[in-house]
Amino acid sequence: MAKNSKKTKNKNPMQTAFTRFMLVVAFFILWIGGIGARLVHLQINQHEWLRGKALSQRRDQTKEKLLRGTIYDSAGHFLAMSVNAKSLFADPSEIEDFDKTAREVAKVLKVKANEILKPLREARENNRRFVWLARKLDEATEQKIEALLENKDLKLAGLHWREEQKRIYPYNSLAAHVIGFSNSDDVGLAGIEQSQEELLHGAVIKGWQDRDRLGRIYDEAETEEREPPKDIVLTINNSIQYKAEQALEKGVKAANAKSGMAIVLNPKTGEILALANYPTFDLNKYNEFPAEIYTNRAVQNMYSPGSVFKLVTYGAALQEKLIKPDGEIDCGDGIIKLPDREIVDKHCHDRISYAEALAVSSNYVTIKTATSLGKERFYNYSRGFGFGEPTGIELPAEAHGQMRSPGTWNGDSLASMSIGYELNVTAIQAIAAYAAIANDGVRIKPHVIKEIRQDEKVISRTEPEKTQIVSAETAKSLRQMLMKVVSSGTAKRAQLNGYTSAGKTGTAWKYDAKLKKYDESKYVSSFIGFAPADTPSVVIAVVLDEPQGGARDGGQVSAPIFKDIAEQILPEMSVAPDANIRQEVVKDEDIPTEIETLSASKTDKKTDKNSAESGKVKETKKENSPGDTEKNVKQKQPAAMTEKPKTETKNKSSGANKGKT
Amino acid sequence: MSRRNLTKNKNTKQIRRESDPIPWRYCLLTLICGLLLVVGFFFAARQHFSSMDYGIKNSRLRKQKDELGDAQRQLLLAKEIALSPIEIKKAAKKLGLTEMTAANIETFYTGGDKPENTKTDKPSEQKSPNAAPTNNKPDAKKPEKDEKPEKKLTDSKDKKEVRETKAAK
Repeated sequence: MAKNSKKTKNKNPMQTAFTRFMLVVAFFILWIGGIGARLVHLQINQHEWLRGKALSQRRDQTKEKLLRGTIYDSAGHFLAMSVNAKSLFADPSEIEDFDKTAREVAKVLKVKANEILKPLREARENNRRFVWLARKLDEATEQKIEALLENKDLKLAGLHWREEQKRIYPYNSLAAHVIGFSNSDDVGLAGIEQSQEELLHGAVIKGWQDRDRLGRIYDEAETEEREPPKDIVLTINNSIQYKAEQALEKGVKAANAKSGMAIVLNPKTGEILALANYPTFDLNKYNEFPAEIYTNRAVQNMYSPGSVFKLVTYGAALQEKLIKPDGEIDCGDGIIKLPDREIVDKHCHDRISYAEALAVSSNYVTIKTATSLGKERFYNYSRGFGFGEPTGIELPAEAHGQMRSPGTWNGDSLASMSIGYELNVTAIQAIAAYAAIANDGVRIKPHVIKEIRQDEKVISRTEPEKTQIVSAETAKSLRQMLMKVVSSGTAKRAQLNGYTSAGKTGTAWKYDAKLKKYDESKYVSSFIGFAPADTPSVVIAVVLDEPQGGARDGGQVSAPIFKDIAEQILPEMSVAPDANIRQEVVKDEDIPTEIETLSASKTDKKTDKNSAESGKVKETKKENSPGDTEKNVKQKQPAAMTEKPKTETKNKSSGANKGKT
Repeated sequence: MSRRNLTKNKNTKQIRRESDPIPWRYCLLTLICGLLLVVGFFFAARQHFSSMDYGIKNSRLRKQKDELGDAQRQLLLAKEIALSPIEIKKAAKKLGLTEMTAANIETFYTGGDKPENTKTDKPSEQKSPNAAPTNNKPDAKKPEKDEKPEKKLTDSKDKKEVRETKAAK
């Protein structure tokens, strides 16, 4: 019985079940514990290795280049824009039939098959697996290639696409020298593209993409944050720019000039509304043009301004109250004696008012005025007008100009400088000086960038520096004097229909660096003016390099271009007319000539006055230039220029000019 | 075969059961936890696949957005090219409009004091050196028969005439 009860006790079903259950639980605990231990081992000890392995299976590293910033004109038109474009490359190791591939691709690309075949074979020989076949294709060509690749009969293998950026300039050559261009790697090489490279440059953004087993992207992110490129809004107005370019081209061709430049500036704001150079080039095909043509002559080239610089002399004298516009000066016989030479001014007879002297561009009166000013004051005013230092315009390689300090001047330097020789200026410096007079004596730094945008929000706006260089009263007096230049002086061809205008002509000899003297056969003819004369809305500078079509004076070749531009843009700018319509022909004989001849030299008594008068210029001494060193400047004497009387022009001028007189 | 030691014909009602070592409450709790776990797994799986699905859609939309952005840029460029002064000039020539030169822009004195150095010449009476011959002046030379008719659009009547000329062509 006891044995039985023991047996019963030992075989208690509940206990047995419990024991069994516990065994199962223990088994499971061990099992789960084992799995857990393994998981801990895998996820902690082998975490990095496993993670890397997993990522490599599903994750792609990506590199995306942001589109380069856009350049707009002031009205919001695109001047330069980047778009995505596809480029075709080949992996020669995957290509079976080189000839067939080259033939088919060449047919679409409209090139010779050999141009495709040659690089492919070279790459195969050098075991290279990447060969560009065509870059930045247009949409139509891309579709044709795509169709080629999808054609199963052709079985073209080894051809792949790569996304790139393409810079497009919708207006081709418009404002080419301002906008500039960028190369195939999207690096700016000229103009705003170069100077604002940092802002425009599209950064490369690195990131990753996770793909599922079907290759679909289900997650992606950027691994580094970079500043997106900025957009630049220029002050250039595409319509004004176009008109300025058209007028300049016409004018350069008519004058048979080597080149020309025109700048249109708003004197109230310092905004450059147009900056044209001729000859120019197509921005979309810039590599088809010679590199010399890329030079923005208005900013990078210097020239002797000639009579245009008289603005500084008269402006300074008016400000110092040394002269009055209606004040008179006795010219005597029109001969001025300088330490080393004499200057003969045929325009100056007996008594003449300063306004009349400026109108006929009298060198005698200008030199006398400069002498009364003195070296220091003349130099200070010249610097005040902005000469001898860059204007700070946002364009690359701006020339400083040359304005030597009075310590380096020789005996005739003040006289030469007062009439625009022995110094060099850029067209942008010259127009900025005239703009100051148009703006009541306040000089505003000329600028070409209006604002910078990011994601269509303005992040910075140009606030130009303002400097009062002469009083408003002086500026007004100068404007009235400059009006006389247009109404009865050397710039009659700058008279506008419906608007009053003012300005100054300049005709200067070009300095020949090889001969180290001024070349009497080569001129720089310019006109800088503004309109309307009392309340100027625009200042326009026109400079022609080496006009050779007979007429060479600034008043004859540059002033008509000013007129052409101003008459078109003023109505467009909603500037109310302030004068009557004038459509009369201005004859050559009505315009006082400005061609400057070498003066009689004191040291060369034998210089034939008659020959000088008849236009046969006899040079007796070497001339210096602002580019010369101090030593050279002291050794060489500058040539003084005199204005030739009308009759002399008749004799000297040839071709069309001769015929007219 | 071992025989089970079970009492026969015993009144089972009199047998007092020992307390259950695994109470039903525990089983229920385990079951609920298990269910929760399973539901959680399902929920997590659903969320995971849903997120993947959204990720795929998002990626597609992003690509589509980029493509549309590219297309928009291309269209803007095409519009810009079409609106460029050169193209407008070409279109104007096709319509028979004359080129606008400085000489044929008519600006009129609007009032106020007449400036001293201005003249009251009318544009129709005198011509500037650069003036191109225009057909809208009464004394202008009429175009030759074989010349392309050029007309400056000044009013709707002129425009109508141009349209008619074009239609006739």
